[in-house]
Amino acid sequence: MTDGINVTIEDDIAILEMKMPGRANKIGKPFVAALDAAVAEALAHDGLKGIILTSGHKDFCVGADIEMLFGLDNADDLYAQLMEGHARMRKLELCGKPVVAALNGSALGGGYEMALACHHRIVINSPKIQIGLPEAMLGLIPGAGGTQRLPYLMGIQAGMEHMAAAQPVRAHKALAKNMVDAYADDKEDLIAKAKAWIVENPSPVQPWDQKRYKWPGGARPGTPDAMMLFVGASAFIYKKTAGAFAAPESVIRAVADGTRLKFDRGLEIEARLFVKLALSDQAKDMIRTLWFHRTKAEKLGVGMEHGIKKVTILGTGMMGAGLGFLSAKAGMDVVLKDIRQEALDGARKHCEAQVARLKHLGEETQAAILGRITYTLENGPIEGSDLIIEAVVENLKVKHAVNAELEPLLAPGGIWASNTSAIPITRLAESSKHKDRFIGLHFFSPVEKMPLLEVITPEATNEETLNRCLAFGKAIGRTNIVVNDGYGFYTTRLFGAYILEGVQLVAEGHDGVLVEWAAQTAGMVMPPLKVFDEVTLTLGRHAFETRKEVTGEVPDLSGIDLVAKMVELGRYGKAHGQGFYDWDSRTVWKGLKDITPDTPELTGLEHLQRRLMCAQAAEMGRLLQDGVIRDLKDAEVGAILGLGFAPGSGGPLSWMDKQGLRNLVGELRDLAANHGERFAPSPYLIDMAEKNQTFWGDWKAE
Amino acid sequence: MADAFIYDAVRTPRGKGKDSGGLYTVKPLDLLVTVLDALQERNGFGKNVIDDVVIGCVTQVSDQGACIARTAVLQSGYGDTPPGQTVNRFCGSGLEAVNQAAALVASGYQDLVVGGGVESMSRVKMGSDGGALFDPEMVQNRGIVPQGVSADLVATTRGFSREDVDKFAVASQDRAIAAIDGGKFAKSLIPVRDQSGITILAHDELPRRGTTVEKLSGLNPAFQMMGEMYGLDAVLRKAYPAVDKVNHVHHAGNSSGIVDGAAAVLVGSKDAGARHGMKPRARVRSVAIVGDEPVIMLTGPMPATEKALAKAGMNIRDIDLFEVNEAFAAVPMAFAKHFDLSMDRINVNGGAIALGHPLGATGAMLLGTVLDALEERDLNTGLITLCIGGGMGIATIIERV
Repeated sequence: MTDGINVTIEDDIAILEMKMPGRANKIGKPFVAALDAAVAEALAHDGLKGIILTSGHKDFCVGADIEMLFGLDNADDLYAQLMEGHARMRKLELCGKPVVAALNGSALGGGYEMALACHHRIVINSPKIQIGLPEAMLGLIPGAGGTQRLPYLMGIQAGMEHMAAAQPVRAHKALAKNMVDAYADDKEDLIAKAKAWIVENPSPVQPWDQKRYKWPGGARPGTPDAMMLFVGASAFIYKKTAGAFAAPESVIRAVADGTRLKFDRGLEIEARLFVKLALSDQAKDMIRTLWFHRTKAEKLGVGMEHGIKKVTILGTGMMGAGLGFLSAKAGMDVVLKDIRQEALDGARKHCEAQVARLKHLGEETQAAILGRITYTLENGPIEGSDLIIEAVVENLKVKHAVNAELEPLLAPGGIWASNTSAIPITRLAESSKHKDRFIGLHFFSPVEKMPLLEVITPEATNEETLNRCLAFGKAIGRTNIVVNDGYGFYTTRLFGAYILEGVQLVAEGHDGVLVEWAAQTAGMVMPPLKVFDEVTLTLGRHAFETRKEVTGEVPDLSGIDLVAKMVELGRYGKAHGQGFYDWDSRTVWKGLKDITPDTPELTGLEHLQRRLMCAQAAEMGRLLQDGVIRDLKDAEVGAILGLGFAPGSGGPLSWMDKQGLRNLVGELRDLAANHGERFAPSPYLIDMAEKNQTFWGDWKAE
Repeated sequence: MADAFIYDAVRTPRGKGKDSGGLYTVKPLDLLVTVLDALQERNGFGKNVIDDVVIGCVTQVSDQGACIARTAVLQSGYGDTPPGQTVNRFCGSGLEAVNQAAALVASGYQDLVVGGGVESMSRVKMGSDGGALFDPEMVQNRGIVPQGVSADLVATTRGFSREDVDKFAVASQDRAIAAIDGGKFAKSLIPVRDQSGITILAHDELPRRGTTVEKLSGLNPAFQMMGEMYGLDAVLRKAYPAVDKVNHVHHAGNSSGIVDGAAAVLVGSKDAGARHGMKPRARVRSVAIVGDEPVIMLTGPMPATEKALAKAGMNIRDIDLFEVNEAFAAVPMAFAKHFDLSMDRINVNGGAIALGHPLGATGAMLLGTVLDALEERDLNTGLITLCIGGGMGIATIIERV
């Protein structure tokens, strides 16, 4: 018995069951000590036939101890640690006995890399089990040999694609991709199959230790064919990242530079690239936000009760229908209410299409989900709803009227939520008799793909309502963030600052093509004009009107006039085939130059980047000033998950930290003087800068 | 003709040229960029000021293909305007590159040129570029033999015994180790580091401490079987009818080692140096390149030296220190014998037998080595010469300023 890894010998086969203290097998110092001891114990058994590596936890192993990794700052130490890890895995695969990874649960990152160093991988065929190397998601590459071993199994191209895309694969798809070698039905079957394989394969040799291994996919590292693959892959990555994201590029370098060398030496290449990334600001920022903060956000609402049996969604466009589907899938009775039959028909189609994709649940469950949804033009079925989500047109009067009419249909203690994207919830609640049970639930479209839920709590909203809504968010698979009320609350304001600046730049005469590229090279997931086209310009114009109506103020910017002009020209956006883009050719509309002034003298990629990013930073400063942000962590997670704010930056606050707040305030003042008051740094920001404060400088992994 | 000044010379350490070697994981491109960047950092010249980068590299395929000189410029801090060309004069490539740089400057066509060389023998195998030199018709016509056999012919015709060459090899090891321990290479040796600054290799990896004649005597001659059994010794008689028996004396222990490495030398006009605030360390007195009899192949250093001396108006006694590449022990030994020189002035810090011979880079490395040695001993003139495949020889005379 080793602490954390239980060794049992059955039929001269050692079963190493990893069950580290806690709920997961995190690869860190205690784990590797336990693994070393367990392997030694197994090898000491006289007449040993082989080793089975499995887990006593739900997951097999989902990777390294990120907290430990986050704290590292010495390159030499980290490199030495990685090489030690490589030596450990080499020892295992060269121990002379067959080693089988029996994947009883998910094997991700370092966990899957450990499985790669085994001679054979068997997984329980369950859609809940995930397999793969998603390190690039956190700005890293695999660091335990994954970049060197996986291409031997998947082929150069498929291996690189898997690691660069950083998307885990569900178990049922892993065999076809060569990521595992066999399936088992359950844990018992898993161990039985592992034992059988060991008996049949007493002395396996890893592909990378074979003299004449035939590479899947044809191309062999070190050949001109492979070289062209790497050149092509580099271009493909650049198209996606515009150079703003280091990890996928390093994946290609690791595979290209490493796999052509003698295997043991290729591991050095991986280790060096890993060290460089792991100690980079980008990885640290990404890990802080997308691992620590996000994990925290994921937990928000867990363990809370929503007590919602019946939910009504008012307005059944894409968003309403999607919410209906998700709620029904989560087991709630759903009423989809609209005032137009076509909308209901569309919603029904949408729900049916979504349910059809859930084949793995079985026909009965699929039918049950659809059976829980009622489509109605009448008010009657709404009666007794525990939650009503209003998703009607963005108009204060209409929303007030709907609330006044239907709020009485709520079950006792029921909650009224608005899915408005901008109107202050406090204003909407003016018509409500139960302001303590009135809340904002801002979902993002398409709701099946965008996991963020921005919960807006006016002062009047009570704690219970908030908690029930957070639990509801969890039930339908959301990542919750909570913000305070105000026009546009958080995400809409930040997003608005971004696309408005994009439009403003064009209105001033800057080249739209360059504006888009500036955003991409700054790391923004979607360039502003393209995303404006997707939102549709009419909606944008409507938003400016609503803002004026609700807040009485709209910035006096030629960009806003340009949007109006575009709408007049019938260039409504993507759905109409033309907007800022000509969507046939997917290029920025050449005619923009004819309706905007000559290009200003001060232009160019860097200027445009600074304008786009600083406009958001200034808005962020005001959001902090206005007290909209309740938790800085939520601000970071929300911007990335909801808006596609440069993921490589770690979020807007991390980005601001990286500029240095003193520098940033200075730059914002300059920009405000030359390009408008919207750039002016808020007193909150100025105060922080004067005190030399940072948002995350002192932050420690919790 | 204007003077070509040498402003600086740097090199990487030499790593063992096999897949366990210290520089095996480093692409030759990165080796070359290491020395180019080091020159820039040490001498402070800016971007877009170098007029050309001439790089010697013998096996120009795979990692070393597609003009590695220009590729390295693009990957360095030199900016976009410095062009690059890769030259192949076999083992003389590195010195050829420096000589071309000097010629470009002396002619007045260019002001500031980097000459140098690179070879990763662990990654790009010697001979993997094929070769016209091994064309059967050509081999039949001229009686060309492998270099090792030629080296044994040099020893045979000069009457060097196995013990003579092994003694030379031990001296090379001893001198190299003394130089390493005495920090004699430190001035020009640039450690190779990774992306994070972690040192990959900072010392010459090949020298063997404790090498003795006795230990070397146990090694089998490498080219005996080839010569005797496969008839190569007989082929020699086409050019050397009087040699009825070749004394096969060379083996891995008294021949140059297979290694990885790169070197770069900054050559410029007086004005260019002044413009960038640099002080010259030496000037090039003369350069020479010759062809010689190709069967014995390795005797080119003698006529090359004579030609360079004549061009400079100098006598062999005017040269303070020599670097004669130790392709095989018999080569510098034949050189010393020919000019009646004491070994005290030849390869004072050891040579390729101990340190290795990264084909395309060696010539540029030797120039730096002799310059450091001249400065250290406060001497003035140095001559660098290498034997070259196909029966060529190259030489350069430098003088401290």
